Amino acid sequence: MNASIVFRMAWRDWRAGELALLLVALLVAVGTVTAISLFVDRLHQALLLESANFLAADRYIGGSNPIPEPYRKAVAARNLDLVDTMVFPSMIFAGVDRSQLVAVKAVEEGYPLRGVLRTALEPFTRGEEGTDIPPPGEVWLDSRLFPAMSVKLGDEVEVGLARLKVTRVLIAEPDRGGSFFDLGPRLLMNLADVPSTEVVQPGSRIGYRLLLRGEDDELDALEAELGFEDSSGYRWVDVREASPRIGSALDRAESFLLLGGLLAVLLAGVAVALSAHRYARRHYDHVGIFKTLGATPDQVMWSYVAVLALVGAAAVILGSIIGGLLHLGIVEVLKELIPIELPAPSLRPFWLGATTGFICALAFALPPLIHLRNVSPMRVIRRDLGSAPASQWLSYSAAATGSLFLLIWYSESLFLTFWTLVGAAAVLVLFGTLALLLLRGGRVVGMQAGSGWRLALSGLQRRHRENTAQILIFGLAIMLLLVLVLLRTALIDEWRSQLPDDVPNHFLMNITPEQVAGVRELLRKTRRQGPIYPMIRGRVVEVNGIDAKQWDARHRHPDDPGTRVGSERNLTWAAHVPKDNEVVLGEWWPSNEERSLVSLEDEYARELYLKLGDRLTFDVAGVRVDAEVASLRRLDWESMQPNFFIIFSPAALKDSAATYMTSFHLEREEKIFLNRLLSAYPTVTVIEVDAIIAQVQIIVDQVTQAVELILALVVVSGCLVLIASIQAGRDARVREHALVRTLGGTTRLITGALAVEFAVLGTFAGIIAVVGAEVTVALLQNQVFELPVQAHPWLWLIGPTVGGILILVVGLWGTRGVVSSPPMTVLRGADD
Amino acid sequence: MTRNTVIRAVDIGKVVPTAEGNLSILAGVGLEINTGESVAIVGASGSGKTTLLGILAGLDLPSSGTVELAREEITALDEEARARIRGEHVGFVFQTFQLLASLTALENVMLPAELRGDPGAEPEALKLLEKVGLSERAGHYPRQLSGGEQQRVAIARAFASRPTVLFADEPTGNLDTSTGQKIIELLFDLNTEFNTTLVLVTHDSRLAQRCGRVVEIEQGRLRT
Repeated sequence: MNASIVFRMAWRDWRAGELALLLVALLVAVGTVTAISLFVDRLHQALLLESANFLAADRYIGGSNPIPEPYRKAVAARNLDLVDTMVFPSMIFAGVDRSQLVAVKAVEEGYPLRGVLRTALEPFTRGEEGTDIPPPGEVWLDSRLFPAMSVKLGDEVEVGLARLKVTRVLIAEPDRGGSFFDLGPRLLMNLADVPSTEVVQPGSRIGYRLLLRGEDDELDALEAELGFEDSSGYRWVDVREASPRIGSALDRAESFLLLGGLLAVLLAGVAVALSAHRYARRHYDHVGIFKTLGATPDQVMWSYVAVLALVGAAAVILGSIIGGLLHLGIVEVLKELIPIELPAPSLRPFWLGATTGFICALAFALPPLIHLRNVSPMRVIRRDLGSAPASQWLSYSAAATGSLFLLIWYSESLFLTFWTLVGAAAVLVLFGTLALLLLRGGRVVGMQAGSGWRLALSGLQRRHRENTAQILIFGLAIMLLLVLVLLRTALIDEWRSQLPDDVPNHFLMNITPEQVAGVRELLRKTRRQGPIYPMIRGRVVEVNGIDAKQWDARHRHPDDPGTRVGSERNLTWAAHVPKDNEVVLGEWWPSNEERSLVSLEDEYARELYLKLGDRLTFDVAGVRVDAEVASLRRLDWESMQPNFFIIFSPAALKDSAATYMTSFHLEREEKIFLNRLLSAYPTVTVIEVDAIIAQVQIIVDQVTQAVELILALVVVSGCLVLIASIQAGRDARVREHALVRTLGGTTRLITGALAVEFAVLGTFAGIIAVVGAEVTVALLQNQVFELPVQAHPWLWLIGPTVGGILILVVGLWGTRGVVSSPPMTVLRGADD
Repeated sequence: MTRNTVIRAVDIGKVVPTAEGNLSILAGVGLEINTGESVAIVGASGSGKTTLLGILAGLDLPSSGTVELAREEITALDEEARARIRGEHVGFVFQTFQLLASLTALENVMLPAELRGDPGAEPEALKLLEKVGLSERAGHYPRQLSGGEQQRVAIARAFASRPTVLFADEPTGNLDTSTGQKIIELLFDLNTEFNTTLVLVTHDSRLAQRCGRVVEIEQGRLRT
């Protein structure tokens, strides 16, 4: 057959509405993938950009020595912006007798590369954003240094040997960090002034950072080129490492978005397969005629492949446009909700959409069309001849291969793919059986029912193969929707519960035992004060009488960069198990315990090969303290509460000179409270993490929006699958009901029978979907998202009800012509 | 096979598997048909006449025996080659007309030439439509035509491929007596005009009588 006849064939099929469903299904595949990818791509870039604010850069190279020249050269050779910073603790002086330990940050012009500095002329105000840094000779101080040191703007402070003028109040800087070791309030100065302070001496504790900004490709290439090894003493840091909390929120959001996109693709694939099968089935007669007229099997196959290629090309072009517009619409609708500016999209989403379209066409639509080459020409005489069943293998294996390829390609995760496939296989086998049993049960009930019911249920039973398939498809679509809804709820609840509104956002440290009562009294008024913990620095020197270094050497490879048993730690003691801590092994001591015991964090103990009953010897401020490991605890590191790896029984450290720490919540407008606190207790150290928490909350909100949006898009493609599936079964229903009508069946009877049929199919599909969703969500939560597993009893009511109603509505809408078209038209036209 | 023989079937058998075991539909059928001959295959329902027609035309393969059509042993060819033989030598008319619903009458008649890639399919098709008296209805779709009209379009399509042999399966089976009569006249007129060999399966005794030879089939065997 030549090209012109192929075009004409396609055009005639299009005109006759034969290709519309296939085109729409492919459009949905391409459009959804393009729109989701475009939006996710841009949002992802935006979120990374936003998160980069935590670093004040896209990446940085950090170390405790000056950044070496070869690194600088490698950076300079690429198209990257760079800025040097230094961080070190220093005692500063004002007037005659006022001194304070501060965390100095020295920066140069261009800082910060991401995010903004916020400064003010009054302490404890909101301040304004600015792009400049302290000029040489000037410093900017944290609000709380003003009351603590009784300084005001224009005064001078001594940093090492340099006298520098205080010119502004530093309200916020992007890379403040929340580390307990980044002690003390901030002093921001110009890097050019550092030599004159002469604080940089051999052995000084100084953090050097080379902040970097540029394209991801360039940065990744640089990282690969420099190949940071642990022995180099320098680290390559991105946002995931710098802020694990944001890293994990982003990772989960990405996993979810990917999963959503993946499901949308698979749903669209199912829709494509259904409509292609229907198209092929409706062309058996045509092929029979073509063949009697001399068309060879190859000619038949290539003509339909060409028609599919035409439809595929049209779907890719139109789908890209629709996807683009859809995503613009989404951005427009969510403009208010997404306060960050979205960067321009990359081309990848369009490429992703187009390839998805062609893969869907190849894997899902091509096999049934290739089948057509096997249709026997005898079909023109004997209509019951379809196509050879052997080639159905081709159909299933192509669909499986295509799905596998799409899953791996789209998720870039073999793990996620594996679990999705395991789930799909389990669903097909188990639910196929379940669906058949349900249909059988329905038949038994139907025997005792009225005529509409009997007609519907006998129809369900008679076409049990098609209906089992349809229940599976409906069930799968509903299941995917439920999975997404459940995961969304679990994820968002999880994020929100991590950061409740009254989460502690200020930490007080260095409280002396004498100050404890006074500080407690002052904080009582804020009402949201956490417990007060004693805190003292110390390190393990022996384990079961073995030197700590030898212990490490025995259990660890020398190149293992992990924690060392002898590292210095914050120690505390407590009579009761702290909140958010759970004893997983051993027992917590009674409050009057006299022995010297210690409780370790579970992971910490595992990493250092410590177990219950081990005897640890600590060096606490020069004093040796022995203690036996009595319990292992699991704790929630994301809770924003003070957490300790090592907790002693009170008796063990009763003679130690500890300071105390606590945490509390303060609203932004209450910040003036810090002024009062620091005036009364100038030696106390305040660590403010409210800015970080606020930033995390913004990100969580944005991610939540994105998650909901993906959910909506998947719901749309799910509904399209339902429509495609109903369309696919429409022909058989149309013929059957036309026959019933010629035999005297009333419109009411037929509508009733159809309604019952769809409602029953939907309810069965709902039952299957609930079982599938519970299992899948449990697996995903456990394996992928690392969230606790929950059952959802309400689902067992909602699933079948929603399934029944949804399929009833979509089904009746999809078959509305069945009832209204004259039976004669249906019975006469072989092609209807 | 003599120079004039266009179809030669030797010892044709057809067995199909059923739930109750193998069912023999045709057994030991031998038949020779000469160029220009008109042959009617008659028999009761289920006697195997339609199956025989399908095998003679190369639409189906026998379980045993050989068939030669236009000097080619079609039973030894694959589907690809049989399709080419059908395209070159065979035309069909069916009881259920088998027009493509999405094509107009003219497009249906043009189809064989288009499938062969012949240029000038349209004027040829228009001429044939005129011969069957439907040039006025060229742009109409099958559903807009009566049964008799549809069968006339099918006949025009069958002759469009200039077949050596025309196979017809109950061509009047779906038509009333008077329309059927007209279709019979048309079929034989064109058969004479194009000097085609005609092989038809029918219940219609008037149609069978018009043929030069009648072959009766009973329970899968030819009655001689």
